[in-house]
Amino acid sequence: MSKLDYPKLQETLYREVLDNGLEVFVLPKPGFTKTYATFTTKYGSVDNHFRPEGQEARAVPDGIAHFLEHKMFEEPEGDVFSRFAEQGASANAFTSFDRTSYLFSTAGEPLESLDTLLDFVQNPYFTDENVEKEKGIIVQEINMYKDNADWRVYFGLIEALYAKHPVHIDIAGTEQSVRSITKEQLYDCYRTFYHPSNMTLFVVGGIDPEETLVRVRRNQARKTFAPGGEIERLFEVEPSGVREARRVVKLPVSLPKCMIGFKESGPFPEGEEGIRRELAAKLMLDVLIGSSSPVYQLLYDDNLISDSFGHEYNTGPGYAFTVIGGDTRDPDELLARVVAAIDEAIRDGLPQASFERTRAKKIGAYLRMLNSPEAIAGEFTRYRFKGGDLFDVVRLYESITLEDVHERLRLLADTGRRSVCIVRSDTE
Amino acid sequence: MQTEVFQRGAVGRMRVHVLPTTRFKTFSLSLFAGVPLEESRVTPVALVPFVLRRGTRSYPETIQFRERLDELYGAGFGFDIYKRGDYQIVQFRLDIINDAFVSSSQSLLEEALRFLGEALTEPALESGAFTAKYVESEKTTVQKRIESIINDKIRYAAERCLEEMCRNEPYRLLALGRKEELPHITPASLYESYRKWLDEAVFDLYVSGDTSLEQVSAWAGQYFKLPDGQPGTYSAAEIKPASEAPRTVVERLDVGQGKLNLGLRTGIAYSDDRYPDLLVYNGILGAFPHSKLFIHVREKASLAYYASSRLDGHKGLLTIQSGIEIANYERALDIIREQLDEMRAGNIEEQELSKTKAMLVNQLREIQDSAFERIAFDYNGVVSGKQRSADELIAAIESVTADKAAAIAGNVGLDTIYFLRDLKEEAAHVQA
Repeated sequence: MSKLDYPKLQETLYREVLDNGLEVFVLPKPGFTKTYATFTTKYGSVDNHFRPEGQEARAVPDGIAHFLEHKMFEEPEGDVFSRFAEQGASANAFTSFDRTSYLFSTAGEPLESLDTLLDFVQNPYFTDENVEKEKGIIVQEINMYKDNADWRVYFGLIEALYAKHPVHIDIAGTEQSVRSITKEQLYDCYRTFYHPSNMTLFVVGGIDPEETLVRVRRNQARKTFAPGGEIERLFEVEPSGVREARRVVKLPVSLPKCMIGFKESGPFPEGEEGIRRELAAKLMLDVLIGSSSPVYQLLYDDNLISDSFGHEYNTGPGYAFTVIGGDTRDPDELLARVVAAIDEAIRDGLPQASFERTRAKKIGAYLRMLNSPEAIAGEFTRYRFKGGDLFDVVRLYESITLEDVHERLRLLADTGRRSVCIVRSDTE
Repeated sequence: MQTEVFQRGAVGRMRVHVLPTTRFKTFSLSLFAGVPLEESRVTPVALVPFVLRRGTRSYPETIQFRERLDELYGAGFGFDIYKRGDYQIVQFRLDIINDAFVSSSQSLLEEALRFLGEALTEPALESGAFTAKYVESEKTTVQKRIESIINDKIRYAAERCLEEMCRNEPYRLLALGRKEELPHITPASLYESYRKWLDEAVFDLYVSGDTSLEQVSAWAGQYFKLPDGQPGTYSAAEIKPASEAPRTVVERLDVGQGKLNLGLRTGIAYSDDRYPDLLVYNGILGAFPHSKLFIHVREKASLAYYASSRLDGHKGLLTIQSGIEIANYERALDIIREQLDEMRAGNIEEQELSKTKAMLVNQLREIQDSAFERIAFDYNGVVSGKQRSADELIAAIESVTADKAAAIAGNVGLDTIYFLRDLKEEAAHVQA
């Protein structure tokens, strides 16, 4: 067990890699009542084409990572939610583009729930019958999102940006792809991606690190795993330009929703450089068009945007894109004004004072985030999978210069890498 | 269980509640202002915080106001408007870093209280009224907010079900007010509503962090320029029984998935001694993944992705919500009604009871780890007139028996069945 001190943050982190390859982190929060744990596999919706070591490459149906997440909760003796409930622990899970996370939160006996978490995720139980039954539930989940305008505009935009990269595929898949999934495919994906060496356990809360690690070691020692091999993840070459410059979706909304996307082309560095780029991009967006920028205020005064207006930078294996947008009375005018603001900022540069102020704000927001065990666990794992360290963020922010920010800004200039997606009630 | 307790005092008309703690990296501030929910003033009261966030005496331009927050190490500032019992509550929140983590020459808590006090009591003015351009712009914002409810069909169905169930009482109103009212509001009329609101609202200021009641009271007295007087009090909400027979409302929109929402009246509110029994009732019925609704509607029948019940304890209302295939309306409704019947018949397994209690107790314990959740929980006691500590509520929950939970069912009446469905006439047979 190694101990990492972060005196400026008043945090101490413990880390250990077990013999089977599982990486375990424990962050004690003295005085906290609850414990929050996430058990995460580096496997998400984009991993739909892969080659396990020594085997043939295979393509699997869209939505299978998410389907697997649903099915993990079923055990031969019943639903695992019940077992957590007996312990007074609430459990959940989520699937994103590049990872699947299982979690619980409890103010009860955390070590017991930790065993439950490790055991259920490491015990797949799929039958033809229980796989079939799940399809109805997932189809309703897909239908729920289909009626959700915010979801539609966001995924519509990613579909417009990407032609080949699987980030453009809905995380839950389609009704058709979900209906085609079999228990054999689920087991195959499970065996490939749920090996301990492809997973990270993060525990945060009012726990003792030594006791926690002893419990995890003991739990893992009870189980045997075949040696974990390398997983080759196969991605088709993504063109540098966008698939469509404009996409319009019809759905009843009170005002059109408009999102503008900017696609980056590779390479996409991992580790510290990747994290630094991500932070610089987010900082740039906030200076350029955040809620205390002059551009934001002008757009708001002209009734072109509302409080829903925002920005996002999203990056993962083989992709990175920026999103700017929200509800608007006039998508085309909003697009023109955002593009003009970008061009002007590239020409004139962003003000040093705004850059400094925004950086202080970002550091403050980061420190506030460290109050939340849920946010720490989620963000820590996200950074870890990218080869970075969440607790190093303040130093990285301090190392970012205005020129770094300008470099990120210039990437937004290429019209061939820009798409807009609009959701509106009428499509004339 | 809890080591820290709220210290309480008052500054003029404002009660002050301080939770001294060193567990968090921040100071968390909440200011609650409540007035009776009334059709005649719901809209101006909802509009006021939107205008207040546009500028103050010292920071009259919105951009200055926001830059100031950025300078305070990105202090998180926000507000919310909601209903609690028969009151319309405006809540301001401010979350700011403890000075210990940054090299600040000023006390960030003092700056936070100065900022919040000024935002509430010294707004930007022109010619003795609110700044006209802010009022006009925020009228549009509120209108857009109200209109946008329809964009989220889950929220829309929930609001519509509540509106139908409470159609003869003020609770039907949105906390955001009435869209039709907005065009009649002027900078002068809104300023008058605001002054009246400051005179009449019940104010509670909460601060959590490494500080004391004395310190907060001193700064609050200095920076909150509220009218003189004594702290006000809240009175109990009117709790209505369910209608004799449930009323069905079907609404059609261009949707793919149907939303089935049921409105029920429990006759029991937060201050009632049976409230812990009601919490357990709701937990067994539908609050958790082990609850009857989740198991029967989702897991056994595969009809839905979500199927749950939710309690509005301050008004004694219980709602059930599920997203289903439109053709499955009758089946889903039958299954939901069967679960209500099971509760009434007392068909509650020991396991269901023990799991529900464990989950409720866990939720209450977890509140201790979030400053804002602790504040919200404590404020529930203030607004309902019934102070219960988390420990007391936990003890009461532990003592609920299956019989007691089943006895609650006798009180619960189905009032409204609301179904949001598609525009296709021939798709399914729904009895309206």
